[in-house]
Amino acid sequence: MSSQTRRKERIDRGIKVRSEGLYALMSWREMAYLILPRFMLIAGLLCLPFLMPGMYWQRVISIVCIYAIVAISFDFLAHYVGLVCLGGAFFIGTGGYIAGIFNAYFGMPPVLTIPLAAIAGGAFCTLLLLPCLPLRGVYFAIVTLMYPLFMARIIEAFDIFGGTDGILGIDSFPSAFVEQYFVVGILLVFVFGLRRLVTTDMGLIFTAVMDNDQAVRASGINITYYKAMAVFIASAMGCLAGACLTHIYMWSGISQFALDFSILPIAATVIGGAGTLVGPVIGCLILVPVSELLRDFGTLRIVFYATILVAFILFRSDGIMAFAKRKYEQIERWTQI
Amino acid sequence: MLEATDLMVFYENMLALNNISISCRDNQIVGVFGANSAGKSTLMYSLSGIMLDIRKKEKMAGGERITLTGQLTFQGKDIMDMKPSDRARAGIVLCPERRRLFKESSVMENLRIGGYLATKAQARESLDYVMTLFPALQKMTKRLAGFLSGGEQQMVAIGRALMAQPKILLLDEPLMGLSPLMQATLIRAVKKIQEQSDISIIVSEQYARPVFPIVDYAYILENGAAVMEGTREELMDNPDVKSAYFGMS
Repeated sequence: MSSQTRRKERIDRGIKVRSEGLYALMSWREMAYLILPRFMLIAGLLCLPFLMPGMYWQRVISIVCIYAIVAISFDFLAHYVGLVCLGGAFFIGTGGYIAGIFNAYFGMPPVLTIPLAAIAGGAFCTLLLLPCLPLRGVYFAIVTLMYPLFMARIIEAFDIFGGTDGILGIDSFPSAFVEQYFVVGILLVFVFGLRRLVTTDMGLIFTAVMDNDQAVRASGINITYYKAMAVFIASAMGCLAGACLTHIYMWSGISQFALDFSILPIAATVIGGAGTLVGPVIGCLILVPVSELLRDFGTLRIVFYATILVAFILFRSDGIMAFAKRKYEQIERWTQI
Repeated sequence: MLEATDLMVFYENMLALNNISISCRDNQIVGVFGANSAGKSTLMYSLSGIMLDIRKKEKMAGGERITLTGQLTFQGKDIMDMKPSDRARAGIVLCPERRRLFKESSVMENLRIGGYLATKAQARESLDYVMTLFPALQKMTKRLAGFLSGGEQQMVAIGRALMAQPKILLLDEPLMGLSPLMQATLIRAVKKIQEQSDISIIVSEQYARPVFPIVDYAYILENGAAVMEGTREELMDNPDVKSAYFGMS
């Protein structure tokens, strides 16, 4: 240690400074720095349905996008508002059932049921979570973990909405093409929309609520209102994903309240990079196909899964996205002390 | 007793400690003075080894890369790579900035945690010593540490550090945010610790005046470098020091 005469230093490439705001317009190169990474994400996601071999893998892409939407809603709530919400399954299930009910019982087309499920489901979830908003940290997490179980048992016990069989005979999307591009499009809108939202004044308040809610209250801001707002945004996203899922499977049932929808998005957020909003999408793009590939191993799938997760938390707890961002913006070299 | 040579700490590319060499002899009180961002806390963390912990944590989270070089010897042994827990066992005990008490625990529990490494007899003895040093604590052993006043909390923090049987006590800004009266009480207590035991003390502070009368030797840090050092008398006579750290011209 004491004989150490060199250290690795990190030098900023200046990409961030040169490509921020108006400066980006200075030259094509600056604009390329700014646009290329985002373009790669958009183009990559839009090309995916074409690149997939066969119907099965195209369906996997839709599922990836559904998980990704839930994952970014989790990332938004956990790392920009400070509410660790394990209720992904709650949102998916609520949205799925609302879409199913309106489609199967009232004959509404998917064009209407999906937005309806997003708004009504978001309002319903927010209403149920409203009493829990003053809770922080692990308490909020536990409460949100209980809600999906609660809903599933209610449906099972009272035998409503098809009971354990679920709601059958729901319309599907007009074609596989429409289905995939609809979810990919929604995902892209949400990713860039949320990134925009967190930089607005409202996003600033959300972040402030996470950092120090007493200080926010002392500034004369009603934090419950803003927390409810954030929960509504996140749950509406989750419900919309759930509605899409219902129309993809043409069925909605209590397995939509399964724990998978709560856990996988969190795993994807950890792997992709917490607090980046793009990270969870990348995490889902890795995790969901891996989980499909591991299907041959049966129950051992979960073991592989858990191993990957633990390894990531131990060795790369900042996630892929933060790592890639640093490599993109900085160079490293050895210097003499 | 404790000797640091050419200590350098980088936070990423920022040089927080620049070639600092300080030493503290047996039963001496050494003062480390400097403004905010001068490197006082970094120095304290490096001496107590917490810096190794911070470095590991930052590395795991992919945060700042911390580089630490130099030599550090304690009682003739090299301790540069020693873990903070081992250093505490060896007798280097830090009383951290902003006190860092266990806020949800009572005063007595806080003190007992400090005495975790000591034998039962030692712990009882040091507990008695802390209680005689800070008589004010006798009446509030059952109260929660988080609800004490700043001065009382600082007493608990110093008491907790003393319970760990230190050979050298590192006090990081013990007077932060306290009234002049409380400052005087604490400083008298620190002086008493030195007189009544063979503990060496390194104390860091921004404003030198309340601490200065008790220090034997002092270092003045500026931007991570030790710009001046000397005994109390030498520094007292220095006009630069007077104006900058005592508010006298």
